[in-house]
Amino acid sequence: MEQKAEEEVSNAFPPSFSSSDLKQLLHSLPSNALNHFFSLGVCVRCILRLFGIKGPIYASIDNGSVENPVDSTASNETKLCNVCLGILQFRFYDDREKRMFQKDAAYDVALLIADMVRQEGYQFDSFSLEVSIPPLILQKEASLWSYIQTKYGSEPWFQEKIHTGCVSIKDALKFSLINPLEKLLDCKSSWCPFRIRLTYTHTKASEGVAKCSDNGGSCKRRKTDESDSTGERPLSSSVENGSFDCSKLFPKSENEPCHFTYNCFRTPFYFGGRYLKYSRNVSQTCWIIDDERMGEASVEEIIGIKVLQACRGDNYKFHAAGREDIDVRMLGPGRPFILEVQNTRLVPTEQFANNIEKMINEEENKLVRVKNLKLVGSDGWNLMREGEGEKQKQYAALVWTSRPLKDEDFQQVSSLKDLKVVQRTPIRVLHRRSPLEREKIIHWMKMETVAGSSQYFLLHLCTQAGTYIKEFVHGDLGRTHPRYDKNLRLMQCLMAKMSGTHTNLLVTALF
Amino acid sequence: MSDRITEESNSSETKELEQKQDKQKKEEEYEDEELPKLLLSDVQTLPSTPPSAVESNFAIYFALDFMKPRHDQYVYRHANGLCVIGLAPSHVAFKDEGGITSTDFNVGKSDRSGVKVTGKRKKNAQHFESNTALCKVSTKNDSYIVRCCVKGSLLEVNQQLIKQPELLNASADREGYIAIIMPKPVDWLKIKPSLVNLEEYKKLREVS
Repeated sequence: MEQKAEEEVSNAFPPSFSSSDLKQLLHSLPSNALNHFFSLGVCVRCILRLFGIKGPIYASIDNGSVENPVDSTASNETKLCNVCLGILQFRFYDDREKRMFQKDAAYDVALLIADMVRQEGYQFDSFSLEVSIPPLILQKEASLWSYIQTKYGSEPWFQEKIHTGCVSIKDALKFSLINPLEKLLDCKSSWCPFRIRLTYTHTKASEGVAKCSDNGGSCKRRKTDESDSTGERPLSSSVENGSFDCSKLFPKSENEPCHFTYNCFRTPFYFGGRYLKYSRNVSQTCWIIDDERMGEASVEEIIGIKVLQACRGDNYKFHAAGREDIDVRMLGPGRPFILEVQNTRLVPTEQFANNIEKMINEEENKLVRVKNLKLVGSDGWNLMREGEGEKQKQYAALVWTSRPLKDEDFQQVSSLKDLKVVQRTPIRVLHRRSPLEREKIIHWMKMETVAGSSQYFLLHLCTQAGTYIKEFVHGDLGRTHPRYDKNLRLMQCLMAKMSGTHTNLLVTALF
Repeated sequence: MSDRITEESNSSETKELEQKQDKQKKEEEYEDEELPKLLLSDVQTLPSTPPSAVESNFAIYFALDFMKPRHDQYVYRHANGLCVIGLAPSHVAFKDEGGITSTDFNVGKSDRSGVKVTGKRKKNAQHFESNTALCKVSTKNDSYIVRCCVKGSLLEVNQQLIKQPELLNASADREGYIAIIMPKPVDWLKIKPSLVNLEEYKKLREVS
């Protein structure tokens, strides 16, 4: 019965290893070390990895058929491994199912994981396995490896192995699970956004964690350390003295299996594009004070909610290159933005992005429009950097003055190039920004008549990024004014005329 | 067979190209025709005389006969809680011939124009009561004390008034503002009932 089950398992995974193959492999290893490890209570997979063996053999072994090469009656697999505390023996407390778990084959663990993945309902064509091991076990690994180095360092077989080092628990676990998972999930494993995360934790706190977490859990070649990970007397010296107590390596008090939990998730997807805002009552980001929403909607919600629903994600983050006030429209080419969507259940494609763009633009109320929505990688962030900071910004302000306009006004305004202005922190933001004087440059301006009015005009202007446009036009009670220079008299007259009268304005951002 | 496939893939390539060109054309049209229209779309609803920037952004209040008869001051309160303090048009100082000739912020225990308030938390700002003196304005024959009207932190005084006191005569309601004060919400609620709004002010002072 047992034989048959084992054959079935081993036949399922090429290349298959039968129990006799395993025996042969074990016999080929240096027997003194091998027996020593067995006597230390190390499980078969940990032994294989200490000898640097890699590959699908880890998946094929059936715990029930492992024999101690010296004393065939004793099997280490019934006891908890002193190094991996059951991780590579597929013994653990399943936090999801809330019960102890003890199986003989990697396949059974893979089944658990595959069931979970199916339940979560993700669309995927590949998966990437992530493993997290408690520091306590990494420390045990490091201690054991240090001990092995000291005891067997001079032996020829060790000198050979030194190049490959031992295989880490994480890697050995991956060797065990990836093949069965690929079979069960019907796809290959690769570096991809869909992640399956296996987390092992242990109730016992670790001692002297620092040293082994540096190692990252792998016991690759280390120079002979002067101190062991507990920070006490060097292991090496105690081994030479013959006074080393093996039981110190593996305190009985820690002999409990780990807690195991597993979940899957997708790393974030990023959508990039540009948005236009037609409304003067829509803020850029969600703006709620004391449970009351300011404005009727926000750009980030209009775009984010649609995208989130379409990809079935958990949440989104909206990043825009710069911003405009709630009562300022955003027209022209539109403002670049990136929408980060976390943990999508579906995999978005270019076509997908096109469809979402259409959906948003076909909304009845036409508050916001999206252009060129597409999936972006890290290059998207470069585009964003370009969109703010250094750049010049262009605006159109609809301005009213109490004095009727004359032709000279239009010419004077057009003649001003790279005008320096000093802006004290506008009163409307003074409550939350530092009181400073910021010098800004108005690169050019152009006035345009408005049909049927001698007192309204459209002011086109191009300014340095960070200029407060409204305050530039109405003067903010004189707290925004031109810096002294030869244009001063000209601008002063003009500004005085404008702000010495009443002005009101509606600003539109363009660029 | 293979010819047909290449033919089809060629035509789908040209289709893509066409779509791109179409898109570009639409964008150019938008820039040339639609955008200018959009920029002027508000024009239909424009009032002949819109409210001023101050009227649009602040709630306007007045403190009448503050501590002394005819010492009228205004308090412009922004939605963010900050208050701009200044002389109301009906202030007795404007009745003097020649108007206001000088200002002095060195009143009370310190020179109000000397303090440097820094940072988002407004470090170093002095905390004043509503009757604390802000500055002294002088005319040819007299001088008058201008007070805070609102209890709070003094964020800034209008330094321009030191060199250009005539700003008070020309535009006390704008460039001639005296100071900016940040009251705590509870202090504002306490003082508000004693202030009047623009409508009431116009009635009481018979100003147009």
